[in-house]
Amino acid sequence: MVKTPYPGRKVMQMSDDVMAEIHRDYLYNLVLKGERDDGRAFDEFRDISIETNVAGMAEGSALVTLGDTQILVGVKIQPGEPFPDTPDVGVIITNTELIPMASPEYEAGPPREGAIEIARVVDRGIRESKAIDLEKLCMVKGEKVWIIFIDIHVLNNGGNIIDAASIGSIAALLSTTLPAERYGLGEDSPLPVRDIPVAVTAIEFGGELLLDPSLDEGKLAGTVYTVITNSDGSISGMQKSGIEPLTIDQAMRVVDMAGTAAAKIREKFLEV
Amino acid sequence: MERNIVIPGDVVSDNIKMSGSGTYVHGSEVRASVYGLLNTGERYISVIPLAGKYIPHATDRVIGIITEVVYSNWIVDINSPYEGLLHISQYPRRIDSENMSKYLKVGDCILTMVASVDAGMKVELTLREKELRVLSNGRIVTINPTKMPRVIGRNGSMIRLLKSEIGCNMFVGQNGRIWINGSDDCIDLAIQTVRYIEDNAHTLGLTERVQAFLKAKEKTRYGKVHESRNDEE
Amino acid sequence: MSEKPEHFIVDGKRLDGRRVDELRQIKIELSPLGRADGSCYLEWGRNKIMAAVYGPRELHPRHRQNMTKAVVQYRYNMAAFSVDDRIRPGHSRRSIEISKVGRDAFEHVVFTKFFPKTAIDIFIEVLQADAGTRTAGINAASLALADAGIPMRGLVSACAVGKVDGEIVLDLMKDEDNFGEADVPIAMTAGGKITHLQMDGNLTRDEFYEALKLAKIGCDKVYKLQRQALIEKYNKEYAENGEDAIPRPEGDADE
Repeated sequence: MVKTPYPGRKVMQMSDDVMAEIHRDYLYNLVLKGERDDGRAFDEFRDISIETNVAGMAEGSALVTLGDTQILVGVKIQPGEPFPDTPDVGVIITNTELIPMASPEYEAGPPREGAIEIARVVDRGIRESKAIDLEKLCMVKGEKVWIIFIDIHVLNNGGNIIDAASIGSIAALLSTTLPAERYGLGEDSPLPVRDIPVAVTAIEFGGELLLDPSLDEGKLAGTVYTVITNSDGSISGMQKSGIEPLTIDQAMRVVDMAGTAAAKIREKFLEV
Repeated sequence: MERNIVIPGDVVSDNIKMSGSGTYVHGSEVRASVYGLLNTGERYISVIPLAGKYIPHATDRVIGIITEVVYSNWIVDINSPYEGLLHISQYPRRIDSENMSKYLKVGDCILTMVASVDAGMKVELTLREKELRVLSNGRIVTINPTKMPRVIGRNGSMIRLLKSEIGCNMFVGQNGRIWINGSDDCIDLAIQTVRYIEDNAHTLGLTERVQAFLKAKEKTRYGKVHESRNDEE
Repeated sequence: MSEKPEHFIVDGKRLDGRRVDELRQIKIELSPLGRADGSCYLEWGRNKIMAAVYGPRELHPRHRQNMTKAVVQYRYNMAAFSVDDRIRPGHSRRSIEISKVGRDAFEHVVFTKFFPKTAIDIFIEVLQADAGTRTAGINAASLALADAGIPMRGLVSACAVGKVDGEIVLDLMKDEDNFGEADVPIAMTAGGKITHLQMDGNLTRDEFYEALKLAKIGCDKVYKLQRQALIEKYNKEYAENGEDAIPRPEGDADE
């Protein structure tokens, strides 16, 4: 099920909490020359692979590898009560677990701000794109709706978790079955998914914008900017994090780059 | 070759006097304690592990990265479960304790030596030996410390080959970090070669393979821009 | 949810067609994770388990360090989507107990005294659960430790035995686990020393002895698969260049 990205070799990196100044300088000088450490163009993603229905107890699931990053997303669905302020639509709950297996930097315990941010950004893209027809998930107004749990399980952090989580979530949803039979609520049917939002993350480093940051690049980034676009090119979610500001011009350039990159990802992996 | 690979618990000898590194004595038998390659010498049987962490020993030369500056000491990451301590008195010359960061700051790389390791695994480093210094340029690559002996070669033969064939300056730390300096092309080639050695660390005739590898690279070397480190894969 | 079957064993065959002394299908993949120092992915029947080892590494907080040996830490965790009804992420009383006895299963075999003050962390993630996850986790952990180069007395191998229809059977599947008369997860060293043992249900003394003997047979089978996986990994990765791999003599380094 799980692929070994580089057999027999651990991901090479400097010590986790500290990066050697000369390694930082090297990466910086490469960017000035228009290059990246792994030979990619600035707007190029690492290799992506998607495998669906890998977790058999889930209603839908996907294992995504993005370079060295490996993420397993599982979707569970069960009947429950709607929120009082939205009595006639289903519920989506997204959760990210940055388990200590995935990186020497992660610790056990309840999700912290990093994990919560990832879950909320992925959630926003799916919700705001209206990719899931939530009205169809209402069974009895105010009483009974389908609740969709999207659980993002990060197995190996090789950088840019957010894009891998976004791709994994929509891929898992596309493979999801509504388990109506199990609850005596009619026949099973595919989850109604009508759009494919894809998150694309850029970092600003050395004055340049780099898509799909590797682990090292992510550590150097002053700013991390995620743009989620839909099939028609519209934007359904964004998030800027990191301490450095972004210019208007840079923001627009990322939007353009993200649209193009997302279209490629959608075409290659995610079309229904 | 299955006969050479052993896993923890495998019986490797019935002569307990032969127990070497990577083995332990159980009753009247010598058994492997690590997953690795069996190495039968005249006096000892040992197992060379395929993976593992660097554990510091006195006189090891290692490449460290400063992680913290505290009163009278620099704390140094030496790619090990144990951190190194560089006391201000071990800096090559006398400096004022007020100004330590002026000489070595967080993120700086040093080529250092393990001066002592005590029973509590307190690791003291020094810069007061010849060759030892601050590394202000070049690049550092990290490989599995268990494969370090192959990059060095018998009596340093491999490292000499690399330096002369590639024309770069190189220092191999016992802790799995290798410092390389020279032109960009040379550094790239040196790193590719180190990776090649790492991937082929347990094969026969490694020196000849590395020579062939360098020869093949030689043809494509000139007039070429930056190559990715994974090109050979 | 399924209901209790009328018979678990018909004509010597169990519900899934196995004999009483037969294990489910086992698939092992070593080093699937790049960040961990050692890792193992293991499928056991319909169970899917990932194990990772980090260490020896610095142990925080410092007051937990042991000046004379490494501290082994074991974390068993189930993914929220690993079972039929979603489980809340994070620790439960069940996972804390399994983690505790899981750790104990390895304390005896790991040479902790080589690495004072450090931690050896073992992480088990259950991605798909179908009875027997704790024993599958121990098997995967054992391989991940070897993969990380951790010195050990030997591998630990585990399987469950139990009682259904009054018979002692090896490796309980879901229904046998849910409705059977007894469940005994066991881990052993290759030499047959028990490092993990739990039991719930009802067994006579003689049945328990029979169960132990069957567990030994099961653990021996698992051990063979574990050993084979490690040897195959080496052959695949290091010797694939078509030439004989040879051990290197000591004293290769200069100085």
